[in-house]
Amino acid sequence: MIRLKHLMAGAAPAALAAALALAPAPAGAQKVTLNVATAGDQNMVDYVKDFLAPMFEKDNPNVTVKAVGTGPGDAGSQKIVEKLDAQKANAAWDVDVAVVHQKMAGDMVKAGLLASYTKDVASGKLTTSQTAKNALGQNVEGYVIPMFQSQTAIAYNPAMVKNPPKTFKDLEAWVKANPKKFGHNGIKGGMSGVAFVVGWVYANAPGADKLMTGPYDKAVEDAWKPAFASLKEFNKNVVITPGNAGTLDMLNRGEIVMGPVWVDMFYTWQADGKLPPTMKLALIGPGMPGQPMYYVIPAKAANMAAAKKFVELATSPKVQAEGIVKKFNWYPGIDAQHVKSQLDEKTWNKLFIDVTPQDLQTKGKPFPIKPYFDAILQGYEKNVMN
Amino acid sequence: MRTVRIPVNRSRTLPLLLVAPALLTVLALFVYPLGFSLVTAFQAKDGQWTVANFFRAFEFYGTDIAFTVVIVALSTVLIGGLAVAIGGYLTLGECGPAVAALRWIYRWPLFIPFVVAAQCMRTFLAKNGIMNNGLVAAGILTPEQTVGFLDWRGIVITFVWKQLPFVALLVAGAMAALDRTTIEAARNLGAGRLRILIEIVVPQVRPTLMVGLILSFVTMMSVLSVPIMVSGESPTMITVDMAFRINNYGDYGTANALGFISYALTGLAAWVYLKRGLAQGGTP
Repeated sequence: MIRLKHLMAGAAPAALAAALALAPAPAGAQKVTLNVATAGDQNMVDYVKDFLAPMFEKDNPNVTVKAVGTGPGDAGSQKIVEKLDAQKANAAWDVDVAVVHQKMAGDMVKAGLLASYTKDVASGKLTTSQTAKNALGQNVEGYVIPMFQSQTAIAYNPAMVKNPPKTFKDLEAWVKANPKKFGHNGIKGGMSGVAFVVGWVYANAPGADKLMTGPYDKAVEDAWKPAFASLKEFNKNVVITPGNAGTLDMLNRGEIVMGPVWVDMFYTWQADGKLPPTMKLALIGPGMPGQPMYYVIPAKAANMAAAKKFVELATSPKVQAEGIVKKFNWYPGIDAQHVKSQLDEKTWNKLFIDVTPQDLQTKGKPFPIKPYFDAILQGYEKNVMN
Repeated sequence: MRTVRIPVNRSRTLPLLLVAPALLTVLALFVYPLGFSLVTAFQAKDGQWTVANFFRAFEFYGTDIAFTVVIVALSTVLIGGLAVAIGGYLTLGECGPAVAALRWIYRWPLFIPFVVAAQCMRTFLAKNGIMNNGLVAAGILTPEQTVGFLDWRGIVITFVWKQLPFVALLVAGAMAALDRTTIEAARNLGAGRLRILIEIVVPQVRPTLMVGLILSFVTMMSVLSVPIMVSGESPTMITVDMAFRINNYGDYGTANALGFISYALTGLAAWVYLKRGLAQGGTP
C-alpha cells in the first residue's frame, strides 16, 4: 500500500506540490541539511564549502550546508544527472542545489529534472546574458543562473614569443616555423583542449555561427573534413599535453612556450606562483569558446526554500564580486555592471589586462549546440586521432 | 540421539546462511554489473540488439586497443624480468648489506596508489622534470639532449615501477621457500649465479611468477589514472576511451563494448596460462 502510494505520488505532478509542502521547514525550528552537489575541480567544492557555506550558515542558523564534489569535467555533471535520474520516482530528492556544466543543463531541463526557480530569486533579474537563457541550443530560461563565466585563451611566454598570433591562421604558421613549441591537451584530457579543437573548427569550417545557434543539420558535418585534415597536419608539430594542468605545467617548465588554457586557472596558478608572472594571454580570432557553470535546483529538491535562499546569496552582487571575481579570477555569472560597482578599479582591471572586455565581446564564443559538439568530438577522434 | 539430530537438521541451512552474505555481495557487486555490462555492450541506446557498438569500438579505438595490449604486455614482460632479478639477488646475493638494503627498499612502491604514482611521474619524467634536471645538473646530459617521457614510455615506466614490488614480493617469497640443497648442489658443481637463477631457481618458482604476472596484467588493463595523467591522447589506453565515451557522449554501449574487449583480452591471458598449466601436469 505504502509503496503504491509512493509510486503514484512519484508519477503525478502532485508530487511536486507534496515536496514543496514538505520542504519549507518552519524557519528556526527544524534542523535542515542542505545538500549542494558540485561538478568541477576541487576549487569549486572548496568555494562552496569554505566560502559560501559558512556565510549561508551564519545567516541561517538552522541550516547546515553539505558540499559534495562529483568530479571534474562533464563527467561530474553526468554523475549529478544520474543521481537525480535514479531518484526520479521518489517524492523528494536528496540534492538541493547543484552546480552543473552547460552541456548537461539543457538535457536536465528536457528530462524534467530541474525546477524553474529564477523568478523567485532576487538575482534572477540581474542576469540577462545569453548564456542564462540558452545552453548549447536548449532553452533553459528560468531554470539556471550562471555561477560564473569562464573563457579559454592562448597562454604564451612573451620572452620566447615576441609577436603572439592574433588568429588561428597566424598560429598555424607560427607552429610550422616553431615545431613542438606549442602544446594542447586534445579532447580526452580536459576542456581547454576541447575548446581549442572547437575554436579550430570555428576558424576553419564554413558557417561557424550556425554551429552555435543551430538548427542542427547533419549535412554541415561533411564540410569539416578539410578543417580536420589541417588540424591533423598541425598536430604533427605540436606537443599533446596530459590535461589542462598538464599544459600549464609544461608552460611553467618551459617545455612549451604556448598553449590553450582556462583564463581563471591561468590567473590562479600565477597568483600561487606556479606560473611565471611574465606569462601572458591572448584571445585569438575568430574566437575561442568559454562556458558558464550553472546553479540549478532539482525539481523535487527536499529543501526547496533553503535552496532558493542559497542560490540567491551565491548570485548576489557582493558574493559574485568577492568570491567569483576576486578570489577565483572568474568572470561574473550575473551581469557585469552589478558586480563592478562592488569592486575597486584595480581588482576589476586585473581580470581584463590581457583579454579586454572588447575581446570577450567579439572573440568569446559559446560552445556549439550539443549535436554539433558531439559531432566535432567524434570527428576529431575519427579524422585527427586515427 | 535427539541432541545429535538437531545439529544435523540445522546443518542444511546454516552453511547456506553463513555463505549468503559473501555470495550476495559477489552477486550484487560483481556478477550483476558484469552481466549488465556484457548485455548492454550488445544494445543500442533504444534497447535494440546490435553489434554496432563493437564496430564503433574498432573503428574509433582499434589503434588504442592494439596500443593497450602492447603497453600492458611489454610492462608485464619487464616486470617479470626485473622481479626475477630482484628475487634472484635476494636469494643468491652474497653482499650482505646490499641484500639487506634491497630487501628494505624494493617494496616501497607497493604502498603507493596508482594515481599518486602517476602524479609523481608527471613531474619526474617530463622534459624539464626532476629526472632530466638532475641529469643536467650532474653534467651527464645537456639541456638540449633531454627528452620527455610523458608518452607511452611514461605509462610503461609507471606500471613497472608500481607493479614490480608486488610480483617481486611473491617471487622472492617463493624463492626463499625453495629447498636450498638444489642451489647448493648446482654451486658445488661449479654453476655461476646467473646460471643457477635461470636453470634451477626460476623453473621452480614459475607457477608463482605466472600468478603474479597474470594479476599484474589484469590490474594494469584496468588502470585509468596513469594513462590519463602521464600521457597525451594519441594513442592512449582503452580505459581512457571508455571514460571519454561515457562522460562526453553518455554512450554506455560503446564503453561496454570496449569493456567486453578488455575482459576478452584478460580472459585470453588467463586461458593461455591455465592451458599451459594443465599441459604441464595440472598444477596451474
